Amino acid sequence: MKFILKILKNLPAYLWSGWGAIASILLFIAFWDIGNQIYGNLVLPSPLETFKTLYAMLHSQDVWEQIDITLYRASVGFGLSLLFGSVLGLIAGFFATASMMSRPVVTILVGMPPIAWIVLAMIWFGMGDETVIFTILVASFPIIFVGALQGTRTLDGDLKEMADSFHLPWHMKFIDVYFPHIFSYIFPAWVSGLGMAWKIVIMAELLATSDGLGASLAVARSQLDTPTALALVVIMIGSLMFIEYIILEPIKREVELWRS
Amino acid sequence: MSTQEEKLHATNHYLYYPDEENIPTYLAYGFRPIFLLLAPYFIISIVLWGLVWSGYLNIPFMDNVLTWHIYEMLFGVLTAGVMAFLTTGLPELFPGMIPFVGKRLKYIMLLWVSGRVSFWFIDTTGVYLTALLNLAMLGWLIWFAKDIVLDKLQRHASLGYILIAIFGIEVWFFASILGWSGSDSMSILRVALGAIVILVLLVMRRVNMEAVNELMEDKGIDDIYISRPPLTNLAVFSVILFTAVEYLYPTNSALGWIGLATGASILAITSDYSLEDKFILNQPYVIYMFFIFVMLSLGYGLMGWSILFNEGNGISSFRHFITAGGLGLSYLMVMITIGWIHTGRHLTSNIYTHLMVSFMILATFIRGLIPFFQEYQMQLYLWSAIAWSIPFIIFIKVFFNFLLAPRADGIKG
Repeated sequence: MKFILKILKNLPAYLWSGWGAIASILLFIAFWDIGNQIYGNLVLPSPLETFKTLYAMLHSQDVWEQIDITLYRASVGFGLSLLFGSVLGLIAGFFATASMMSRPVVTILVGMPPIAWIVLAMIWFGMGDETVIFTILVASFPIIFVGALQGTRTLDGDLKEMADSFHLPWHMKFIDVYFPHIFSYIFPAWVSGLGMAWKIVIMAELLATSDGLGASLAVARSQLDTPTALALVVIMIGSLMFIEYIILEPIKREVELWRS
Repeated sequence: MSTQEEKLHATNHYLYYPDEENIPTYLAYGFRPIFLLLAPYFIISIVLWGLVWSGYLNIPFMDNVLTWHIYEMLFGVLTAGVMAFLTTGLPELFPGMIPFVGKRLKYIMLLWVSGRVSFWFIDTTGVYLTALLNLAMLGWLIWFAKDIVLDKLQRHASLGYILIAIFGIEVWFFASILGWSGSDSMSILRVALGAIVILVLLVMRRVNMEAVNELMEDKGIDDIYISRPPLTNLAVFSVILFTAVEYLYPTNSALGWIGLATGASILAITSDYSLEDKFILNQPYVIYMFFIFVMLSLGYGLMGWSILFNEGNGISSFRHFITAGGLGLSYLMVMITIGWIHTGRHLTSNIYTHLMVSFMILATFIRGLIPFFQEYQMQLYLWSAIAWSIPFIIFIKVFFNFLLAPRADGIKG
């Protein structure tokens, strides 16, 4: 509770410090505008036109349905990889043998291009939710798994010994000794896993489904509707930035504070 | 504080004081004669301009009243403000430098005054004299500040370089007036504004740190405030970009986005005010200085908005957030902080300082938001001019006694 209050207390200052980031995004948009002036509306619509399209889209029921569908797939896929990745990673971290065995498997999972997983998943599950969810799972699972594994592998033996010699009860040992350390590894892994999930869900939808944001992107492409395509991209990037910078980053800062 | 301690404290400001004899108090330090002249000058000129723009007064001044209005409000008062900052700040930034006082100070002040006189009588005395006197004044300031450019460590060299750039722009302006350069004189003045904003950002970074840290020391707040260079640099970069693009493509939509970006980057500087442990945003001087950035930021942001969504309408009114608001408040802050600290007093906030800052902000909003209340345009011009002059009237009331009396802590200067 104290932890949450502290995050909330620091939130206004944190948000205010974002003006620099907003400035660089706006400068980027200015370059986008110059690109539009050079290459024309068909190739690169102007930022203003894109935002106007986006505004109109956000007023349509249909677009929100597509967002819902995509959000559902991304959260189920990410939720599953969060669960399996964290639990298995922690277990593997506690046993040297398990971590030794799991390393090459993780390398295989990381090394396999997501697009190949999509092809396999389309054969196994057909065109639908399962294909997308499965692809997200295999793509972001290894990231979280490795984070959890690293967190437990790097636990400080001396601290553990100290906790033992003071006869700390198990829950104190867990909350005050193990948890801050492991969490500072696993949380950034969740953040990168989420970023990965959000990218993969669009790609999988674009290739394997007929609904969701990815599928809308495919339709926009086939109709050469660049403003809509860019507006969809803005939705994806905007939502990812919101989750990452407004929700997760303040927590991450608080979690990692003890390191500095 | 004991007298001994106070004397020790004053050596923060200079190491040696010149041994010229019989220096009158009003010439005992660079800022004194400047503020004694600048405050009344602001009042007289803004009221005159207010009467001209609202149509109550018809001065057959020149064929191009607008251009010269901008010229005077930028270059004319700039030299005074810069001189106050340099003559007071340099002995502090470079210990060992001897304060500029006495007779020589009087001559330079006379040069500034003659520059103003030649400006108001430009129809009779001609452009050449105005150009000569005003360029001589700025040229002297650069010569005076040569140490900051020649400094091996280059700690404050950026100030010198931007002053040289402003000198070049002023030469360019007169060249265009005299027909030696084909550039449009109005566009040159916009470039000048960009350069002056950069100067203000660089100066504010130093004034900010000095004033805020002095304030915290006074109040026993145990923390240190650092204005981080990268944030100022980002703002300077954005202002340069905006100025350059505005000169070349004044109506391009990309300029609108750059304007918004510049606004955000200037506002970003204020994030330094949130310190690690202590909350200082409730300190009056921090709030005052905070508003300088808010005004500059609003100016660029609204100009950007106008280019993107309003076909550039009202852009010259929005620019007044930068000039009347940002620059005006900067002058005021330099005058108030130096007026307290360098007359041997503590940096104090009271009802007068609150009123000065509030009236200036109010005047800026009245002037800057005219595009939204076109039907009251004439009254608003006049009101904003009156409101803008009030802070300087209060300044005269509060600070002229200090400026005309020796330092309160008894040391020279």
